[in-house]
Amino acid sequence: MTNKPSSSRRTFLKRGAILAVPLAAAATPAAALADDGLRSRLAKLEDDAAIRGLHQNWLREINNANHGEAGETVAPRFANPEAAVVGQRLRRVAADHGREPDVIEIAPDGKRASGRFHCIVETETPIAKDCTLAQMAHAQGSGFVHRTERRVLKVDYAKANGAWSIAKVELAAT
Amino acid sequence: MSGTPYPKEQMHRIAYTKLTKDQISGKLNAVSAPTSASPLSDVFAGKSIRIVTDNGPTLSYTFNGNNQLSLTEGNSSAVNAGYGALTLDSIAFFTHMIPNTVRGYAVAIDRKTNLATVFDLWFCGYKDNREVQREIYYGYVEQPGQDPPKSRHATTDRMEGKGFYWKQDAGAETLELYPSTSYSNFVELSRFGGELSFCAPSDYVKIDDNHYIYTRTECEFSGTFTAYVLDLNRVEQAGTRLGFNANDDLEYYVFRGNGKWLGQFARFEKLGDERGTEPPPPAPGKPAVKGARRVYRPFETMPKMTRAEVDAVCAKSSTAFEAPSGPARAGGAGAGMAGNLGPNSDWLAGKQLTLRYDTLPAMEYRFEDAETLHYRKDGRGEWIKARYHAYESCPGVFLFGHLLKDEPNHDGHMVVADFDQGLVTVFNGYLNTPYFANEAGVKIHFGVIEMDGLIPPKYRRHELTDEMVGRSITQNYSPGLTSMHVYTTPHSLSWVIFTDTDSGGLEWSGPAGYVKIRDGLYFMYWLEEACNGTLGTILVNLKTMRDVGIGYVCGARGLNMGAIGAHERLVGRLDVMPFYRVRESGRLE
Repeated sequence: MTNKPSSSRRTFLKRGAILAVPLAAAATPAAALADDGLRSRLAKLEDDAAIRGLHQNWLREINNANHGEAGETVAPRFANPEAAVVGQRLRRVAADHGREPDVIEIAPDGKRASGRFHCIVETETPIAKDCTLAQMAHAQGSGFVHRTERRVLKVDYAKANGAWSIAKVELAAT
Repeated sequence: MSGTPYPKEQMHRIAYTKLTKDQISGKLNAVSAPTSASPLSDVFAGKSIRIVTDNGPTLSYTFNGNNQLSLTEGNSSAVNAGYGALTLDSIAFFTHMIPNTVRGYAVAIDRKTNLATVFDLWFCGYKDNREVQREIYYGYVEQPGQDPPKSRHATTDRMEGKGFYWKQDAGAETLELYPSTSYSNFVELSRFGGELSFCAPSDYVKIDDNHYIYTRTECEFSGTFTAYVLDLNRVEQAGTRLGFNANDDLEYYVFRGNGKWLGQFARFEKLGDERGTEPPPPAPGKPAVKGARRVYRPFETMPKMTRAEVDAVCAKSSTAFEAPSGPARAGGAGAGMAGNLGPNSDWLAGKQLTLRYDTLPAMEYRFEDAETLHYRKDGRGEWIKARYHAYESCPGVFLFGHLLKDEPNHDGHMVVADFDQGLVTVFNGYLNTPYFANEAGVKIHFGVIEMDGLIPPKYRRHELTDEMVGRSITQNYSPGLTSMHVYTTPHSLSWVIFTDTDSGGLEWSGPAGYVKIRDGLYFMYWLEEACNGTLGTILVNLKTMRDVGIGYVCGARGLNMGAIGAHERLVGRLDVMPFYRVRESGRLE
């Protein structure tokens, strides 16, 4: 049996704190090099954690939104609110644990990143109100076609003023 | 001669007076208590009770005899009012108004459990003051020294699909069907002659597995509120009716009734789901609205056009079987009522025939291809080109339709041509009807097909039928768009829209007609009167559980004839037909 090391945000912070003490006290060039590497790694891990947090918050808001509100609710998290339109209204997004794990890649400049998240997506498409039945369906708070599909969320992120936001979302076929 | 049982205007055509608050208040204050044809119960006489509700008022009552009470709402001062109470098994039901106000209460208490359901009732809560509003509170009758009960009465879907005939103690007879969890379908047998059924928002509350509370508010009509407790096994009811009738007279009484169980339709919620309808959620950031309920208001929202307006829009745009537009149309969310239509048949292409109707000019046809025909009436005049579509419901039986050109009422023909029998039936749709010019009307004509190699019958025809009456069928037109037809009376049907959890939701009804083409194959129409004005026609095939149809509708964008197609499921049948048979006296049975 293999015991895989845990890499939760909590353990990351703990290790970071332990490492931070000797690094802060070091003054040699070799130590400075190590310091730069660790700072870079630390920054990358912080970015990774921030993006995961952003992603989770975005999903939470989608999943808690009422019909038709998802776009408005999630828009503030987008660098460009118009990018909140992902072609279809998202009603529910759940991690697809049966597929590959989430991948977040941060660009070398630390200002851009991309994520790939395998997920199970429930979309809703409004039915046109062009007949009595459709008008009645909307009048009772329904009137949407719901579909549940396996998809890949391809998300581009941008960092500005120290904060990450969503630049673009694509719901791609798996 | 005692007169017919029919009203001068059917319910959806009555121009109910927009009563003012002062008028309503005056009429309420002129009545001291609800009347009753049955002896009132003295179950509460001499008693005091305190009803505690969840998120609602605490009501302290002291009852003096069987018709006077004193009420204290919370910490307010006591008021005296007249009341009426009736019992049904262990359940006591009472109602009263509060003098000098436009509000009151109806309360059901189960004396076995001390659980209570309180209907807070008021007028003047909607722009049409006469429409009774209600909020439902669940609670219990406080018992000194005892902890409050943990359970409550609750909304339920357990009543869904049931139907009853009711006869009240004052003589009113109704058929009441509950095919939805938020609406109901009722036929006024004695008040309106039982021609048409009507629909109203309703509440269904479970007391226990044998007893329920039902309400309806006749929104879009008189606004009258009816509530009763019913015993499913004994088929007995006790309740109240509160509202203003077509003469603006106050009807406020308690009633008893006995009835007959008509059967049970299938339900489509997930097995084990017994939830009732939740009130609509408040708008984001807004508090909950007292009395909120979902109400379909088709009369308020329908386009209402004059004859001149109809003529103008028809001249501008009259289309038939336009190609659906948009990428989502093909069987997707935008497919509307044609998502499960199936292919347009080319069987008629190249054929020439005459449809010789008994009561309509003969129609000669030359079918150029699968979408183009030429017709002329009565063998005279020029051949007129028209766009058509045809659908083969079963071998040899086709539904086709087309608009007629230069007709003063913008006629459209929806035709079932039965080449196996040489018979034809047309639903002749037309506009410029008396109430709103864009509302479609329809006439049914029977006849025969004359064409080379086909000898039609001399006397036999397709016939009007009541074989579908009482049945119910679901129609899935396209993803997300499913309705349920309830063939309620020989002259009307209703349609129910399902919720996201497949409960019956909003419901409406209209005049209808049924023609038998052959066993298991029925050609029927419905008119969305006081509701969009559409004429819908479908050819229902019970063997394939599929229907094809043609809609005919005029609105601001012009006149349109379009195709309908649905996959069906059989919901069941209620035994309603015996109540539509006319007795020797001319009265309904």
